[in-house]
Amino acid sequence: MNEWLDRHMGRLFLAPAVTLILIFSIFPLVASLILAFSRLRLRGGGFTMRWVGFRNFEKQLFGSEQFHLLGTFTTVSILGWIVGLAGTGLLIWWMVRYARTRFHWVGFLGRMITFGIAVGLLWLFCATLLSGNPFGTVGTTLFYVFVGCGIQFLIGTALAFACSQKLRGRTTFRVIFFVPMMVTPIGVGYTFRMLADVTKGPFAGVWQWAGLGDFAWATDPWAARIFITVADSWQWIPFVFIMMLAAFESVPRDLVEAGDLDGASPWQSFREITWPHVMPIAATVMLIRAIEAFKIVDLPNIMTSGGPGIATESVSLQAYYAWRSLDLGQASAVAYILLFVTVVICVSFFNLVVLSRVRAQK
Amino acid sequence: MSSDHAAKTISIREMNKYYGNFHALKGLSLEVEAGEFLVLLGPSGCGKSTALRMIAGLESISSGELLIGDQDVTEVLPKYRDIAMVFQSYALYPHKTVAENIGFPLKMAKVPQAEMDEAVRAAAAQVELDGLLDRLPGQLSGGQRQRVALARAIIRRPAVFLMDEPLSNLDAKLRGNMRAELKHMQNELGITTIYVTHDQIEAMTLAHRVAIMKDGELQQLGTPKEVYSNPANLFVAGFMGSPPMNFVEGEISSGQFRAAGMSLPVTGFADNAAVTIGFRPEDCQVVEAGTGQVDASVYTFEMTGDQSLVTFEYEDRHLVVKMPKDFEIASESRAAIAFDPAEANFFDTASGRRLLPAA
Amino acid sequence: MSTRRPGLFEPRAIGQMAPATKILLYTILIVWAAFVLFPIYWLLITSVKTPAAVNQGPFFLPFIDFEPSLHAWKELFVIDYEDTLRAYMNSIIISLSATALSVLVGSMAAYALSRVDYAPNLITILYFVALLAGVGVAVGIYDVDWMLATAVAVALFFLLARAVGRIYEVRLGNGDILFWIISQRILAPIVVVVPIYMMFQSVRLLDTHLAIILTYAVVNLPIVVWLMYDFFNSIPRDLEESAQIDGATMIGTFREIILPLSRAGLAATTLLVMILSWNEYLLALFLSTTKAQTMPILVAAMNAGERGVLWWTMSVTIVVMIIPVVVLAVILQKYITKGLLVGAVKG
Ligand SMILES: Nc1ncnc2c1ncn2[C@@H]1O[C@H](COP(=O)(O)OP(=O)(O)O)[C@@H](O)[C@H]1O
Ligand SMILES: [Mg+2]
Repeated sequence: MNEWLDRHMGRLFLAPAVTLILIFSIFPLVASLILAFSRLRLRGGGFTMRWVGFRNFEKQLFGSEQFHLLGTFTTVSILGWIVGLAGTGLLIWWMVRYARTRFHWVGFLGRMITFGIAVGLLWLFCATLLSGNPFGTVGTTLFYVFVGCGIQFLIGTALAFACSQKLRGRTTFRVIFFVPMMVTPIGVGYTFRMLADVTKGPFAGVWQWAGLGDFAWATDPWAARIFITVADSWQWIPFVFIMMLAAFESVPRDLVEAGDLDGASPWQSFREITWPHVMPIAATVMLIRAIEAFKIVDLPNIMTSGGPGIATESVSLQAYYAWRSLDLGQASAVAYILLFVTVVICVSFFNLVVLSRVRAQK
Repeated sequence: MSSDHAAKTISIREMNKYYGNFHALKGLSLEVEAGEFLVLLGPSGCGKSTALRMIAGLESISSGELLIGDQDVTEVLPKYRDIAMVFQSYALYPHKTVAENIGFPLKMAKVPQAEMDEAVRAAAAQVELDGLLDRLPGQLSGGQRQRVALARAIIRRPAVFLMDEPLSNLDAKLRGNMRAELKHMQNELGITTIYVTHDQIEAMTLAHRVAIMKDGELQQLGTPKEVYSNPANLFVAGFMGSPPMNFVEGEISSGQFRAAGMSLPVTGFADNAAVTIGFRPEDCQVVEAGTGQVDASVYTFEMTGDQSLVTFEYEDRHLVVKMPKDFEIASESRAAIAFDPAEANFFDTASGRRLLPAA
Repeated sequence: MSTRRPGLFEPRAIGQMAPATKILLYTILIVWAAFVLFPIYWLLITSVKTPAAVNQGPFFLPFIDFEPSLHAWKELFVIDYEDTLRAYMNSIIISLSATALSVLVGSMAAYALSRVDYAPNLITILYFVALLAGVGVAVGIYDVDWMLATAVAVALFFLLARAVGRIYEVRLGNGDILFWIISQRILAPIVVVVPIYMMFQSVRLLDTHLAIILTYAVVNLPIVVWLMYDFFNSIPRDLEESAQIDGATMIGTFREIILPLSRAGLAATTLLVMILSWNEYLLALFLSTTKAQTMPILVAAMNAGERGVLWWTMSVTIVVMIIPVVVLAVILQKYITKGLLVGAVKG
């Protein structure tokens, strides 16, 4: 018995985690997929389910909900055409180059999916934003992911680098900079609503002075989006900061000192020694941050309820609102679309950026 | 814990190890006697650690059999094999005190605390660690850490000791001391020991028998004296001894060994077009040019304190001669090497095997 | 003897920064510290304002431009103390248990993945997922009893797993399992929350601690596995091999050697998971109604619809939510960068 335990302990160690994940994510995923292909009707206590095939997805992608999820497509501007065609060309060139140099069907299939999503998102971008048309929740989510994470990464890394220098009091700064991560996201949402109040908030005087005393940021799409991004950044820069700080502190001292002896300027020493060392970590941190950002729901929900209109609504929030109106089929379909886009983008980033960087370093 | 504390034999039969397609250990067969000190010797990467870890049960055995005592342990987990192992890194638990480190095997065996304390104290005394029981490994010197590792190995009185280059992290002087202590201790406890090293001096001084390995294959098994004076092949001959044996390639025809500028009578050897002669630096002398077996010019002359080393340039190789410490000779001068052909070894150049004269 | 005075842009001594650089760095750090702390400060002073002080426009300094009052604190901790304390206790119980469960299960899995070689058969796994889908379809669409469907699926799996596995040998490795676990984090809660809701409804566990604890533990598992896997990988193997020879079981090795050596990593992971479960809102919203309500739900409840947001009590709620996390962070502070380091370096 003891010996049997010893031999199978490896599996027993892994089993609880796998079981929990199977129950709480694989089963719900399957169930959710089935929901996405059905229509649910509540009928006196119970509910009935009807299989409707792709109708939920059709409605979101091509039907009456298209404006909501993807945006409004009327005319594509000249700029939109130019950027769209140029981008498509570049992507095709990238595919052809890959297929020419080292073809492998798994790699090709993977890149084909990446290519498809990239072309789709590119044209979405060209047909909405570049053509002056309003965009939907997918566009808003991507804005939060790319712009938000970009800002957070730049500021977080800069602060981490500053804090990794020999400065008195840096431990104090470290602790202070970590604080926003501890505040509950909905707390952050409400706090920033208070701060942004143009009449009773702390900056009321500033607004008045700038002649914006009756400006309601919540009614201007871009002001609202930027405001949510600011709150999101306030909360998540600490994460980037703490990870990048660990990364900077792990750069071997002797490498930097050897660089100094070889006469490298601080900038050269950063670019040639420090940055290559922290690059793989930076890529991982970005990936984690992006994964979380795709799921953004609390802040737009609290700060603007997705408004004005649908200007700040993320895909997650759209699914949540659909669920609230008891439209479970639509909610699941939207959630699945989000899942697909997130998986493709994150896995592509992981395979094409993180892994290739790691491989290149070895 | 074994109840009888008796040393056990180890039988290794046709043991193989594959890492994927890589054949790391090629049909190793060895019989280790009870209480014997056996050294596995070979250059790094030859599969010594692999063999040792298979005996310990840390690596699976791809094919073959392993017996400790009369028990087939091929498939048995390490903790049921009644062995103890000392690692090159010592593998001390950094968060446990010296006493806790030494007592760990007993703690795992659920020995009562009082008995354990007693055993820890005894083991620590045996390796002279008495005053240090409350320290952490990080606060010890290299030699002391080594002793803790030894104490942890002996506390359980296992049937077999396995040691993987236990001395290689120590400085030269300490290594000499520890070698002597180790030998003394093994002798006293009488525990069957397999010891892995790449250092032939350690092998020569410690072993009852040495097993020399190369590329996963056993080359020769014998007492230190045997492998030194009767090497089975070119590899063993070149590996043992420092400086190593001198080799000159030539041929044997009609009772004469011939090489460039060298010709000596040999008896009992068949004609062979490719023969290598080997003679040890300590078996030859430097003599006046023309009076020895080989004439050559002196390349360098080195004093090591207790002896002088003369290196000759001969053809495209170097030949070394060990001379007494008061010997002196100028570089670049011509001289000859003299040795007794009867003490020279002959090898078949193609196979590397040693050629023996027909009786 | 005359020495040139070093300029503003030159370091004063070896290993130091030029004064100009130093001033620039301090300016950046202080400005950022202000940006970070101001919202917290505003929360604190709002929590001691009366509704009137909040509504009559911005006041910045207690005792100077407004009279602080404990009005909101009283409301929460004297008048409505039952609701507040219940939510607080719920939050504490749930986040502590979820963190403990997640860190334990996750680090066991991470340890196993970093030390034991697994080779699950892809076809068997696909078969398993297909059966799972079958159960879903049968229960959801054809109204088969879920216990019956599960029993049939389990029986089918164990009967045919080996046979199916032999059809085609494609073996996955540890890396695939690891990637699978970590990728679970990609799932937005909204994708899975509806079925989880139904699942707990069917076993009558809605609005209980257990439901939220289990859900949080699973949601955070990928983070634990990801951080701890790299941490365990950085611990030298000989320690465990030595323990193994000395008679330790895998559990013994894990408890005696691995966990004590991973203190830094465990501390950092624990803190992160703790923060995430303490602050989580959406899942709690779905899974609790009254009894198991957590603090974030209470925060949201201060948005009283027509009457507007009760900023004063909401600020109190947010402030009391921050306090325990800060305490925990201060306790674990020295481990945080050290703990993240290993995980991050290997990334
Ligand atoms: N886990 C492993 N996987 C693949 N190859 C290995 C592994 N362990 C050892 N080897 C290879 O087996 C050979 C023997 O290794 P080892 O027994 O450690 O040599 P040494 O004699 O120096 O102790 C080496 O070439 C090594 O690269
Ligand atoms: Mg070795």
